Amino acid sequence: MSATPSPSRAVPTDRSGLRLISSSTRRPPLREVWAYRELLRSLVVRNLKVKYQRSVLGFVWTLLNPILTITVLTVVFTYFIKIRVDHYWAFVFSGYFVWNFILQMLSSATYMLAEHAPLRRSVAFPSVVLVLATAASRMVEFLIEMVIALLLLAIFHHHGLPAPLILLPLLILLQLLLAIGLTMPIATLSVFYSDVQHAMPIVLLMLFYLSPVFYPASLVPESLRTLYLLNPIAALLTLYHDVLYAGQWPPAWLFASVSLTAVLVCVLGYAIFDRYNALFAEIL
Amino acid sequence: MRSSLKSSKPSGHPAVVCRSVTKRFYHYDHRTTSLRERFIRTVLRRPLHVRHAEFSLEDFDLEVEAGEAVALIGPNGSGKSTVLRLIAGIYAPTQGVVETRGRIAAIIELGVGFNPELTGAENVRLYAAVMGLSRVELAARFDEIVAFADLGHFIDEPVKYYSSGMQARLAFSVAVCVDPDILLVDEVLAVGDQEFRRRCVERLEAFHARGGTLLVVTHDLESVASLCSRAVWVEHGRIRADGPGHEVLAAYQASA
Repeated sequence: MSATPSPSRAVPTDRSGLRLISSSTRRPPLREVWAYRELLRSLVVRNLKVKYQRSVLGFVWTLLNPILTITVLTVVFTYFIKIRVDHYWAFVFSGYFVWNFILQMLSSATYMLAEHAPLRRSVAFPSVVLVLATAASRMVEFLIEMVIALLLLAIFHHHGLPAPLILLPLLILLQLLLAIGLTMPIATLSVFYSDVQHAMPIVLLMLFYLSPVFYPASLVPESLRTLYLLNPIAALLTLYHDVLYAGQWPPAWLFASVSLTAVLVCVLGYAIFDRYNALFAEIL
Repeated sequence: MRSSLKSSKPSGHPAVVCRSVTKRFYHYDHRTTSLRERFIRTVLRRPLHVRHAEFSLEDFDLEVEAGEAVALIGPNGSGKSTVLRLIAGIYAPTQGVVETRGRIAAIIELGVGFNPELTGAENVRLYAAVMGLSRVELAARFDEIVAFADLGHFIDEPVKYYSSGMQARLAFSVAVCVDPDILLVDEVLAVGDQEFRRRCVERLEAFHARGGTLLVVTHDLESVASLCSRAVWVEHGRIRADGPGHEVLAAYQASA
């Protein structure tokens, strides 16, 4: 047995570890999550299984919703309201899946902790694993959607692969950080206040209109654009449009500000989540 | 009154240490759970929460050596389960320090946190994963878990269709099979038939013989008397007595 104590509030999987429960000492969050990688893997596999094993069409269902939405948006904004965007379908394709990912993360934030409340009341584990598991299983779906979108855009829109596309992995990372960072405080709040689940659909609907999902940010009046881009989701989508739709290098200041916001939101979100983590088992 | 008779077990590393642990729970006469109310109360400067301490564990000290088997006894609501939850790390202490060494499995409220919507097999997998078992380790033990729980084809049915006895059997089976260093058992012996209780005690004996640390909360004193060399009598959130099993037991029974 190791004589050196490894202070932490969670059960280490390392058999020799000494667990200390006190408010002052603990492991850094990433190491804590690493100790629970088996739980993370198991939750992701289960999330995907539950979603797909009982439906015949499986992944087609996941794809059908965004495809139909994109089709309707394209018809409406090409034939009814004539928006001045070339290849409008390509424009919607380059941002819609990103929006959909964030939308699904934020709407599941209200119940993701309650779903595993019985387990949390019997075993001590870091609840942040539940948030990460949801993010990871959604990410699997997103990546498949992205490959499809990328293929369609490369073949019918760009007729090739523009160089800025190499920024895509970075954009996806920012998207992940932002989504997780926003999910954590919402999940925390919904443990204490049941209003959150009523408020979320309204907030998400507002965000849908106030983010460039079906119109480009360039249509926002110049005087309001800085204010508009303070919404990190709007800024992130604009980056995606630059890279995926326009095939251009995005402005460095926008890229830097989205990166900074994403990291900040994530750190702040985790701080809030972590502060109330110890109470989840008692309240849920 | 608190006697501090130490058990005669050889002292190695302590597996569990609680040092002046205090845990307070509150009863809320009023608790604001909506934002609208919060807003109104803030504007009117009314208190958000009206509460009084309903139950508390005060200044609780406990040290359990690795390999010891300890029974926690005491009347309902005396704080026994709270002690187990604090040791398991599910609750954070209001004050004080809890230290543990090794992997902990806890069977609390007759279960190990099964999700009623998932099947028995899925719950076993989830529990094994949260305890840090790899897929290979679980695969080697899965049949043993199912065999001990004796569920037959029910293992592939959602846990919500299980009887309380079946749930307790599966919970006990999976908690023992994840090979913990410290096993916390809360009242699992109260359900299940005579046959199951006998097998449980056998299992606990085998676990103890292998050097596992055991903490059992029970009202069924006879069934653990042979197993636990030490007993801790908890009442009103404080330790009334701590010492050799039969002595504490006799004192407890005499008072009741």
